[in-house]
Amino acid sequence: MIAYTIYLPQIKGLLKKWALELNIYVPTMVEKGFFEFRPWNDQVEIAWDYDLCYTTLKKFILPPRENIIFFDMKKYSASPVTEAPKQLLFGVHPYDIKAINQLDQLMEMDSPDVNYQARRDNTIIFGLEPVHVAETAFWSSMNASKVDLGYDLYWTRISPGAFFVQVGSARGEEMLKVEGPVEKSNFTQKEAARRAHLKILAEAEKQTLKFDWSRTPELVNKFFNNRTFWREKAKTCLSCGSCNLVCPTCYCFDIQEEADDLLQKGRRYRQWDGCMLRGFAEIAGGHNFRDNAWERYRHRYMRKGKYIFDKLGELGCIGCGRCVKACTAGIANPRKVYNEIWEAIKNEI
Amino acid sequence: MKSDFSPYVPRSATLVSKQELNELVTLFEFAQDSGKPLAHRPGQFIQVSVYGVGEAPFSVSSPPRTDHNNFELAVRRTGSVTNALHALEVGAKIGIRGPYGSYFPMQKFVGQDFLFVAGGLGYIPIRSVLHYMLRHRDEFGHITLLVGTRNPKERIFTDQLAEISKRNDLEVLETVDTPDHGWKGNVGVITTLFPKISINPETTNVATIGPPVMYRFVIQECSKLGIPQNRIFVSLERRMKCGLGKCGHCQINGLNCCLDGPVFCYTDIAGLGEAL
Ligand SMILES: Cc1cc2nc3c(=O)[nH]c(=O)nc-3n(C[C@H](O)[C@H](O)[C@H](O)COP(=O)(O)OP(=O)(O)OC[C@H]3O[C@@H](n4cnc5c(N)ncnc54)[C@H](O)[C@@H]3O)c2cc1C
Ligand code: SF4
Ligand code: SF4
Ligand code: FES
Repeated sequence: MIAYTIYLPQIKGLLKKWALELNIYVPTMVEKGFFEFRPWNDQVEIAWDYDLCYTTLKKFILPPRENIIFFDMKKYSASPVTEAPKQLLFGVHPYDIKAINQLDQLMEMDSPDVNYQARRDNTIIFGLEPVHVAETAFWSSMNASKVDLGYDLYWTRISPGAFFVQVGSARGEEMLKVEGPVEKSNFTQKEAARRAHLKILAEAEKQTLKFDWSRTPELVNKFFNNRTFWREKAKTCLSCGSCNLVCPTCYCFDIQEEADDLLQKGRRYRQWDGCMLRGFAEIAGGHNFRDNAWERYRHRYMRKGKYIFDKLGELGCIGCGRCVKACTAGIANPRKVYNEIWEAIKNEI
Repeated sequence: MKSDFSPYVPRSATLVSKQELNELVTLFEFAQDSGKPLAHRPGQFIQVSVYGVGEAPFSVSSPPRTDHNNFELAVRRTGSVTNALHALEVGAKIGIRGPYGSYFPMQKFVGQDFLFVAGGLGYIPIRSVLHYMLRHRDEFGHITLLVGTRNPKERIFTDQLAEISKRNDLEVLETVDTPDHGWKGNVGVITTLFPKISINPETTNVATIGPPVMYRFVIQECSKLGIPQNRIFVSLERRMKCGLGKCGHCQINGLNCCLDGPVFCYTDIAGLGEAL
């Protein structure tokens, strides 16, 4: 493992250098206790100790709306569009890196998604060890408190003025050295980083699944036909789709298009969609394959708890707790849903 | 930045001919502007673009053929893209992506008997399989075709059906749910045709396509006849956007209907709560 120690006063200079080549986004407090990734400039104060950024980072790689083709209605031809600004996401927590790693795999599978991949290739990710845990988060039990890949650098604050920076890629290391040589970390600094990790792990353990995450697929699948359970859980669902919108691992989209006034040229774009919205599975003739809110609700928990696992070998929920916060009905909560299923099954035996 | 390849970019094709099949359904014959054959297999679908309006999935209704490169779609008018297609004149262009999805494993059926059960628009994709078999008639055994429609006005491909009914190398039975004055044939839902057919369950494969409500009943009848699950094939319709296994609209439990389907062997979906 290669690691360097970077001191707080060095960071501004580095950011200024990097900003010449890329758009930089950093976590910052937008309201008291409320954090978001925002464009960096030297007036922006980086919230090194944020607990959760509310809007998911998928927006930087799979934007809410993105052009996919331009078409010419006269020539009847179309050309691909891939917009991929060079960007740096600085300060990403490991659970969010895990979510991006998952999207990387899903977008590569079967038919590689060129739009996603172009953006991803131009996105540099600097991870950051969390020092606070959001009250709705439960990532430590979702196998998401540590990632081994998916970052170019991984930053851990080891003292008020210093970071232990682990190298994840050659391009990350190069960026660290743009201003000249940097200090190689010593054993004490490495130990400090390890302790910081253990400390946050202990804090994150306060809210968890009550069983090992790897049992989720089997448990949730056992409950698929338990309509009473799903009906009861989704009784107050507003089908608003907020839980989809804020989820870092939700990636479903709709495809739409618009033409210019002269009907000569136009563009086709995709935009975020959500399986919790009523018309998501409706087809011509009005038949809806998930007509009831509880069927859509069940689908979401099946997808996070089983279907994604069947594809990737890991859960589709990384335990960020964003949906828990977002749901006005107070019913979106994978931790609770899976725990309740576990309790019920445990008591049956 | 521009990359030169994207799976979302359609190719152009030209409308060669069109023929009304009933008040709402029209048959379209297209030729790819590349001059190449579509190279689809029976049961696959393509994504059709009318630029400025949108894109929608349609089954290829014609069988794969080697004598010319045109292909056929039969489209029911129901919304924006389908209406725009109906408004096209011969010579007009569309965009196409695909063919996509799974198909009927024709090689597996060689030497075997076949039972087609087509409800309503389900006949459109069935037609691709059926006519493939008729073009390679000597490779297959006994063929039985059951066609059910809600009422005589909604029947499609009536001329072609009348023609193949005359052949003595296949059995064709038709029914309508609600007859009108002129209707002289069978009346009743499609399962009422089952007592009228004689098939050998040991050697028969089934392809059934129709409205969502139909499948359970047809499969029940097939099971009664003693046809095993692994020889029953269905094609399922779902909402589709990307056709590439990404957008999530077409999911059936953990499967993507656009990639794993639309054609499924019943064994592979029998345990899925969202399939039928
Ligand atoms: C694999 C497959 C094969 C099909 N084959 C045929 C065929 O051979 N002939 C035929 O007439 N129809 C076929 N369909 C149905 C056809 O795709 C829809 O009728 C068409 O998408 C409606 O588009 P529209 O723009 O006219 O309707 P819209 O104006 O978009 O909406 C009208 C209705 O269609 C539904 N709808 C919208 N988009 C889709 C979509 N992508 N998939 C399904 N429903 C949608 C809407 O929920 C709405 O109820 C097939 C569908 C699938 C999935
Ligand atoms: S399901 Fe909820 S907790 Fe899990 S990753 Fe999505 S938003 Fe986060
Ligand atoms: S679970 Fe909550 S956030 Fe999700 S659709 Fe229902 S009401 Fe909206
Ligand atoms: S149509 Fe998009 S995933 Fe199947």
